[in-house]
Amino acid sequence: MKNLLIRISLVIILILSVTSADAEQTDARILYMNDFHGFAEPHRPLGSDELMGGISYLAKRVAELRRERPSLLLAAGDMIQGNNWANLSLGESVIEVMNLMRFDAMAAGNHEFDFGRAVLRERISQAAFPILGANVAGLDLLRPYVIRAVDGVKIGIIGLVTEDAPVATHPKNVEGLRFLPVIETAERYVRELRGRADVVLILSHAGHHIDRMLAERVRGIDIIVGGHTHTKVLKPVVAGNTIIVQAWEHGKALGVLDVSIDNGKIIAFEGRLEEIRPVQGREDHAVAEVVQKYGQRVDAVLNEEIGVSKVELDGENVRLGETNLGNLIADIMMAASGADATIINGGGIRTGLKKGILRAKDIYSVLPFDNYIVAVRLTGKEIRGALEHGVSGVENAEGRFPQVSGITFQYGRSLPAGSRITEVMISGKPIDESKEYTVATNDFLAAGGDGYRAFGDAGKASKNFEIAGGMMKGERLVYSDSGRWLRDVVIEYIKGKKVISPSVEGRIRELR
Amino acid sequence: MKIYVNDRLIEILPGMKVRHALIQAGLITEAEAGRLVYDEWGNELGLDGALSEGMKIFLK
Repeated sequence: MKNLLIRISLVIILILSVTSADAEQTDARILYMNDFHGFAEPHRPLGSDELMGGISYLAKRVAELRRERPSLLLAAGDMIQGNNWANLSLGESVIEVMNLMRFDAMAAGNHEFDFGRAVLRERISQAAFPILGANVAGLDLLRPYVIRAVDGVKIGIIGLVTEDAPVATHPKNVEGLRFLPVIETAERYVRELRGRADVVLILSHAGHHIDRMLAERVRGIDIIVGGHTHTKVLKPVVAGNTIIVQAWEHGKALGVLDVSIDNGKIIAFEGRLEEIRPVQGREDHAVAEVVQKYGQRVDAVLNEEIGVSKVELDGENVRLGETNLGNLIADIMMAASGADATIINGGGIRTGLKKGILRAKDIYSVLPFDNYIVAVRLTGKEIRGALEHGVSGVENAEGRFPQVSGITFQYGRSLPAGSRITEVMISGKPIDESKEYTVATNDFLAAGGDGYRAFGDAGKASKNFEIAGGMMKGERLVYSDSGRWLRDVVIEYIKGKKVISPSVEGRIRELR
Repeated sequence: MKIYVNDRLIEILPGMKVRHALIQAGLITEAEAGRLVYDEWGNELGLDGALSEGMKIFLK
């Protein structure tokens, strides 16, 4: 009888303990996206005929998935800048949509700094969710972490941004800020959160390779939701004891990570990316209305009168010789970057404009590519080499023909390619082949595009740089403003001048 | 910044992205025609994805 009572007691204890364990288990869902870059409307990715993305369609799917499980909706940075839909409201449109979608937290990405510190502060204050940046020193509105409860489970969310942020935006945007090492920062805040949260999640805008390193080196991270490298992680990766995910780019996919948590431990997980396509009737109408509202504003901004040109702007002859439009754009780039000179490819200028009223959309036609201004140090010898390359295909009207500012040069097309330049002056003085000059260009040429090796080779010695006095101080790279398209810089310039009348000044002379 | 594109070393300026590495490697037109870029673990990358020192990418 006694044994029977003991057995019954043990069974009851076992049942109670199992019931208790079940009661403590929570099934939660992490929904995530990264590197949206303001791609609110469905779009055709490069090389594809298929429409993808569309934030109203993604929002609808978020709502459906939320109904199935207690969920968090997170963004791993680079949300507010990129596409015109975002840029022309300086990112306000994105924050409005994110508020409507009830995001729980977002990490700042390097491109969140692109509109300047004042705009970022405004966007942070408009956001109904915390924007996190644990390794950013000097901007108190960026919180290091937040703790969110999901069905009683406390999830600590730490935000990290790439340490490379200073080279990916205009130096003035990050002046006075310090981007601390992500590993040490993660160690510090994981330690701080471990006693306060059941699950520690890092929202990382540092890149997938860094996320793997974080997982290997920092103990105590349960989940990393990543961004920055635009990586399409189809299934969650496990490194160390950490689950790593990332959801591609431009709202083309929504990340779904389901986790079962028991006594502060993740005991099971399953994840996937759901690709987003615009299917009629499958959109969130409230979000669609915001997308449309800002879309109409984009149209209005593009139709806006920005100034008047007193002369016709020649975009037809930019592959054959100096033109007034080439001079105008090259001058603006030199002024914006503070460089000694500008060299751009004539082929980057796609059309000319008639004299009269100029609208923003006209400049978008002239400069349709998403190019930005870069400036590097080149020797006089390298500049001469770049110019030689630029004129080497003039007889075939090759797009590499240079348009310049701060430089005058003379060439003969009848001379052998590679030896056509007969004279080069910079700032009115003969070029010194051994001296270094700062030269502005677009990022396409700076990467060696159109065969401009002189610019491409500058990458070989640009490792050690720092920001000082609002400018980059490094071996070769002196300026990079990837957050502002060249066409927008040109529009701002014309708006400021109101009336323009650029001319051909004899910067490029052909020997006859 | 040193990057490997299809196992070939190329060097680009800090802060540049996947598309710039492909320009430098002379492969951008192939990406524009629809070929895809992957990282060393086989994950597809967007052309605006960030790069870092020593990263290996593959155009397939």
